[in-house]
Amino acid sequence: MSTSSIVFRKELKDTLRDRRTLITMILFPLLLFPVMMSLSSSFIVSHEVEALARTLRIGVLQGGGASGFASLAGGEEGVEVVPVADAEEGRNLVLADSLDALVAFEEGFDSTVAALGSTGVLVYMKETEDRRIEAGRVLELLDLYDEELREERFRTLGLDPSVCFVLSVETVNLATTQERLADVVGGILPYMFVIFCFMGSMYPAIDLAAGEKERGTLETLLSSPVDRMQILVGKFGVVVLTGISSALVSLLGLYAGIRYASAVPQEFVDMVMSILEPSAILLLFSLLLPLTVFFAALLLSISFLARSFKEAQSYIGPLFPVIIIPAFIGLMPGMRLTAGTALVPILNVSLATRAIIAGKVPAGAMALVYASLAVYAAAALVLCSRIFGRERAIFR
Amino acid sequence: MIEVIDLVKSFRATGRRRREPAEADRGDLIFAADGVSFTCAPGRVFSLLGPNGAGKTTILRVIATLMRPTSGTVRVAGFDTVSRARQARASLGFLTGSTRLYDRLTPNELVRYYADLHGMEPHRFREGRDAIFDLLGMEEFADRRIGRLSSGMKQRVSIARTVIHDPAVVVFDEPTTGLDVLTSRSIIELVRRCRSEGKTVIFSTHVMSEVSLICDDLAILHRGRLLYLGTFGDFTAGLGGAPLEEGFIRTLREAVE
Repeated sequence: MSTSSIVFRKELKDTLRDRRTLITMILFPLLLFPVMMSLSSSFIVSHEVEALARTLRIGVLQGGGASGFASLAGGEEGVEVVPVADAEEGRNLVLADSLDALVAFEEGFDSTVAALGSTGVLVYMKETEDRRIEAGRVLELLDLYDEELREERFRTLGLDPSVCFVLSVETVNLATTQERLADVVGGILPYMFVIFCFMGSMYPAIDLAAGEKERGTLETLLSSPVDRMQILVGKFGVVVLTGISSALVSLLGLYAGIRYASAVPQEFVDMVMSILEPSAILLLFSLLLPLTVFFAALLLSISFLARSFKEAQSYIGPLFPVIIIPAFIGLMPGMRLTAGTALVPILNVSLATRAIIAGKVPAGAMALVYASLAVYAAAALVLCSRIFGRERAIFR
Repeated sequence: MIEVIDLVKSFRATGRRRREPAEADRGDLIFAADGVSFTCAPGRVFSLLGPNGAGKTTILRVIATLMRPTSGTVRVAGFDTVSRARQARASLGFLTGSTRLYDRLTPNELVRYYADLHGMEPHRFREGRDAIFDLLGMEEFADRRIGRLSSGMKQRVSIARTVIHDPAVVVFDEPTTGLDVLTSRSIIELVRRCRSEGKTVIFSTHVMSEVSLICDDLAILHRGRLLYLGTFGDFTAGLGGAPLEEGFIRTLREAVE
């Protein structure tokens, strides 16, 4: 057995017995997707049910008639019509959440309609994301009223209401499920994988370098007849393995979440199942591997410079935004893998993963991604071995 | 055998030490060893005695190949600690008082790990392991996690780890720091056993009572320089019956004046 593998096996055993590492490396990534999915889908479903079932209080300001609307809305189930005499008062009631909306018809509404004119109605409501469904219900009622008025007008004129429909537009979406969801899912997934690669490497990197310095065991290890590089390779192997495993475990968690969480849209299930094809996974991990090598070397370098576990943690903590920001930029709509973005670490992995998920892998840019990742990983490794070879770093 | 010839080890001062240099500093350089020479012979215990900050740990780290000398030569079992560092380390056992162990491993796993790092043959390891575990009474806790052991048990594991590969040279850097009387005694016994087995032992301490218990040859170190080098017998003979501590302080005072 080579010396590096002796160190690797020992460090792996030691790491797998560390509860902190197990939680961040396995438990958290494994449970995150299933928990997130079942919670968010159950929240969405319960919010929808609630928003649809709730009795809407609609204030109606009948400036110049439009009594038809009040009777139409009042006849609908789950709608309460509140006559309002003054627009100011009505607006205040909406602001105070006593009314869901105030529908204010213009002065002279009935006469304008009777003269075949076009007239307006002002709808005051709070259009926030969680009131989206209620707002939709109010507008739907107005559409119904509009339709009623239009049909009446056509009848008066002795025409069939369908004469006003000239062009009937129907769209047939030819985009594949992958293409349709690539921007959404394709953005979030690489973001999660990048974070897990980093988080999975973090604790072992701190423990195997700064932790070992703090315990004083590094001195005894270095006084054994083993080259420093062999020790570093063994430690490094464990950190890379935990980072990659963490991303792999999160993928398993995602699979389990999709399979067993209820209320996941079928399109999403199809999408994720198409990502989980062996070739796509292989391609994905071929990107995550050099990225994890880069992370591992960087984290070990910082960790070797720190005197203690805590000190290493305080150095590595601020790195989180540095990792998250490029991964997050990769989420933005319109961001594409180009010769420029292919050279930015983390962002390139994020965008390349997005391209893989969309099923469109630009060969030239991908080659650049691999090349730049290899350069970054190699540079980080050189830095790490330099630091590990420095007396002043080891005996700080 | 350990040979230390004209050893100089300096560090660049940083932070407060740079702003407020100590008396012995030259420019922004701190000299932890400043032309130190001595030889430790097999079958004898060499004590390196000195106050805190004298440079003991640095010298022992250079001997253990953990640090490179700024100048001078150090040989362990005939191997130069720079050009033949690996061979030097293969002949070396290193135990420090500040060293802890891997809490999540068992004594069996830990000792096996160091034996593997030293490339021990399986049969040699088994024989060595059985003998040491038996001698130190470690069998009963050999498969328990080290983190759950008492400090005395942990110290026994440290000892087993240090000598599992039967090194010709053993370096002890203040090995009894923070230990209770009983556990300290187990270290003293280990040092004696190493001596009786013909190993070369170097032992750093600032505890006088330990020196008188085990010392054959003595070096007194202060600010990176040797103030005394000779046999322990000669040193005590020169004290005219005064306690060892008295002699130590007198030596330091004379150097300062």
